Amino acid sequence: MTDTPLISVKNLSKHFKVYKKQPGLWGSIKSLWHREYETVKAVDGISFDIHEGEIVGFIGMNGAGKTTTLKMLSGLLYPTTGTPSVLGYNPWERKAAFQKQFALVMGQKNQLWWDLPAIETFHLNKAIYEIPDEQFEKTLNKLVKLLDVEDIIQIQVRKLSLGQRMKCELIAALLHNPKVLFLDEPTIGLDVVMQKTLRDFIKAYNKEFGATIILTSHYMDDVKELCERAIIIDHGKKIFDGKLQDIIDKYARNKILSLVFSKSVTKKDLAAFGTVKEFSEDGTHYTATLLVARKEAATTASKVLSKLPVVDVTIEEPPIEAIIREVFSKEKAKK
Amino acid sequence: MTMRAQTFSKYWRLLTMSWQDGLVYRMSVLMWRVRRFLAALMSLTIWSTIYASSQTGATPFGYTQSAMISYIFLVSLMQNIVMATALNGLAQDVYTGQISNQLLKPVSLTGYLVMQELADKLKNTSAMVFEFAALFLIFKPELVFPTVGIVFLFAVWTVGAIILNFCISLLFGCLGFWSPETWAPRFLFYTLLQFAAGQLFPLDVLPTLVQKIMYATPLPYLSFVQTQLFLGKLDGAAQLRHSLTLLVWILVLGLLAQFIWKKGLKDYDAAGR
Repeated sequence: MTDTPLISVKNLSKHFKVYKKQPGLWGSIKSLWHREYETVKAVDGISFDIHEGEIVGFIGMNGAGKTTTLKMLSGLLYPTTGTPSVLGYNPWERKAAFQKQFALVMGQKNQLWWDLPAIETFHLNKAIYEIPDEQFEKTLNKLVKLLDVEDIIQIQVRKLSLGQRMKCELIAALLHNPKVLFLDEPTIGLDVVMQKTLRDFIKAYNKEFGATIILTSHYMDDVKELCERAIIIDHGKKIFDGKLQDIIDKYARNKILSLVFSKSVTKKDLAAFGTVKEFSEDGTHYTATLLVARKEAATTASKVLSKLPVVDVTIEEPPIEAIIREVFSKEKAKK
Repeated sequence: MTMRAQTFSKYWRLLTMSWQDGLVYRMSVLMWRVRRFLAALMSLTIWSTIYASSQTGATPFGYTQSAMISYIFLVSLMQNIVMATALNGLAQDVYTGQISNQLLKPVSLTGYLVMQELADKLKNTSAMVFEFAALFLIFKPELVFPTVGIVFLFAVWTVGAIILNFCISLLFGCLGFWSPETWAPRFLFYTLLQFAAGQLFPLDVLPTLVQKIMYATPLPYLSFVQTQLFLGKLDGAAQLRHSLTLLVWILVLGLLAQFIWKKGLKDYDAAGR
């Protein structure tokens, strides 16, 4: 990893003018001669640096500005303020030398030609990215085997399932071995097995090519498994940038104590140690989950062990989803 | 591979894929061709009937029978290779963010659109050869044939018309940057175009004032002036005047399209992606 960032973003903003339609038929009629517009700050002055080989997770609610940021980094959108630098280029200039070194994969849109088999798009990309024959054959064979799509690349894209299509999308995006990869919801709509396959693949690609990857996803498993670093965006502003573990340390107030008892205990007994989140007993199994103050988790666990008939105890971090929710609710409370 | 060979390979691949893509929906292609064939067939039938019922040697609107039949063939030819365009939906592609795919890749968007357009014209032209052969067999027409020099100039003007129509399509495409309402203006233009390009009837049957208004627009240069050249109705001075006017329209609309696209791309919101 070098000191010079591969992606550098300073005070990047994108504002859109959007038409606000009044509800109902009368609103539609009125809009024929008078329309009200408002400016939406999709991205509002964010800055960050990303170094070579990093995988960074962009986290945020719908409409937070994640995809807009990726579109600016890809040169699709003209920033309202700020100039991002990717691989030393200004993406907006859309220079061929820059475009040959990055790829943008969108989970909800495709670059594959809908009515033709995926192999046709692969060959088109070979010509467009000027990939030498040998490199093309080698990369294609490898990706096709890795993603197990030998049988489907000759079938019309529109006849493929979502998972099959996403695999082919990834192949089309990676044939030119991009150094920078922007993945926007790459696992959206896929089943858990397929999600895992794609995650493993992305991880392997990062390792093998040292590629720099920015990933947005609604599935926290994607972020947890792939990204050491996360950037949280809310209403176009960056509210956190750091290691995932730091988010947990900073925002997680509690830890989770999962307990198994040898005989029945009461909720009242448990409440003395923390907030009872789950409690169940069916005559043979007695389990409970307690939320306890983070700093006192070890002490509390030891007290529970000494006072109650515990046969098993585990101390866990709360799920990352819950922590992120916490981050957003704190930010909301600040406003 | 040299740089030139790589560029050729890139655009050749785009051309062949666009061609393949245009042939996927066989029924749509067939129906579109039947529609074009029927339009030519009906025009030829009507005018053949008019001339058959007129006195021998009559020249309604100043057109002999062979000139009028030639006119219909020429209009049909121009419809197929100039007016029919694959870029009717360009504004929608802009508005829905479909063009993002091309903008992300090291390929010129204009080059991509040119290949798409060329593939469409090749598809139309290859079908047109068979349709014209059928019309020749049915009507056994006597056609007007000009000198080689005029045929060459006709070919040049036809290429000019293709470029002019491409520029107009780009201008309509720009609408998608600012509004989703892209079909209504295009449809209105298409209706006007059918009339002003002489697709429905020769413009010289109209009053002089209306003709002058038409010639103040680029529309007659998309088809009508070419037919008049082929039929020998333009003298040397008119040929020079129309050559220059066509060139000026191409330059003006080409530069305008380039300027507005540059501006539009700054406002592009890559919707849906």
